[in-house]
Amino acid sequence: MVVLAALSTSGRQALKNARCIAGVFILLALCGCAGLAPQTATLRETLAPALHERFELTQVPFFPQSEYQCGPAALATALAASGVKVTPEELVPEVYLPERKGSLQIEMLAAARRHGMVSYQLAPRFGDLLREIAAGNPVIVLQNLGLRDGWHYAVAIGYDYDWGKLYLRSGESKRQVLPFVVHELVWMRSGYWAMVALPPDRVPATADESRWLSAVAALERAGDPRAARTAYETFLKRWPANVNAAVGLANTHHALGELREAETVLRNAARDNPESVIVLNNLAQTLSDQGRDSEALPVIERAAALGGPFSAAVEDTKRAIQQRLKKR
Amino acid sequence: MNVWAKTICRLLIALMVWMPFQIATAGMIGTDQVVASSPQADRTAVLNFLNRSDVAGKLQTLGLDPSTAKDRVGAMTDQEVQSLAGRIEAMPAGASDAGVLLLIILVAAAVWWFWQR
Repeated sequence: MVVLAALSTSGRQALKNARCIAGVFILLALCGCAGLAPQTATLRETLAPALHERFELTQVPFFPQSEYQCGPAALATALAASGVKVTPEELVPEVYLPERKGSLQIEMLAAARRHGMVSYQLAPRFGDLLREIAAGNPVIVLQNLGLRDGWHYAVAIGYDYDWGKLYLRSGESKRQVLPFVVHELVWMRSGYWAMVALPPDRVPATADESRWLSAVAALERAGDPRAARTAYETFLKRWPANVNAAVGLANTHHALGELREAETVLRNAARDNPESVIVLNNLAQTLSDQGRDSEALPVIERAAALGGPFSAAVEDTKRAIQQRLKKR
Repeated sequence: MNVWAKTICRLLIALMVWMPFQIATAGMIGTDQVVASSPQADRTAVLNFLNRSDVAGKLQTLGLDPSTAKDRVGAMTDQEVQSLAGRIEAMPAGASDAGVLLLIILVAAAVWWFWQR
């Protein structure tokens, strides 16, 4: 806003020329500044033509940040956009570090999980940032605005490709407009760090199979088996052949006491992956937990015969099953 | 206190700190072990719990109370804890937006200058 005020004092024509200024940014990017903002300069080739558009997620809420607390504000913005009822004040004890007067990236990712969302760090590409916005996902970005230590979280909520402008919820401004070049200059200093926090029934537009699975497993680890179960189910719709996701789904069923469902998932996985020691071990354990140890024994023996890095865990399971059979 | 007593004390303290982080269903191989590039050997497990108590301790010195610090570390993956361990001070912590104006003004001034010529 100060910029606009400054420009208007220098002449009203400046405001009228705002569009041309955006054009100049593009021009600068294409000729002079290509080295300064390499990703902006190559966006025309790297971004799919269908995304050479204008998108704005106007329904994304806005929480103006209080002093130093852009972390909680940005996270609340992204979470609220995914339907979580949360305010920045509630997130302060989850991400804010008083002595650092700020929030760490890893804690931003971790805190989203505590609200049942899957948090995913995007690949460091400008094109991926725009793809997520176009898919309807607000993106938290880490910028460095100062000369040295001006780290700041903002939420990218829209862009206009033709004019090369990015729209953000940032600090105290509800709709900050940054030319692509300027955004890249402040964003590249964090190594193009960006994240999305999505409900477990969604998959990011730019999701990579193995990294998204790790993100879902992290949600499971954070202790939300219901949300994780939904996330694994969603994952398997997209990548049905992924045996690790099947193991994850079965584990969440198991954790929720849904042993029958866990068994079904593991049996299907074992049919498609007869050599998977993990699937066999967990299937045997699930059968044993249902009191069906005599069915479990041949399964765990097959797992033990295959060996591999999990053999110690398999031996433990086998011993437990044998002991339960002896007690009968 | 002799050396052995000290060592045992340290070990017990570390174990007490570690206990709440342990989540596993008996017999089931956990998904995080499967997803991790290499299965958790005992050594990695020990390293993980040392890292977790290290990070939790560090968060406390940065102004959190012990139970908040523990909860926050509990939401992190082993990999995340590993990348934080011993390096929290060097990590960027997003905080202010004071600098944005400075930078935008500089860039806008440059463009303005080009435009007027």
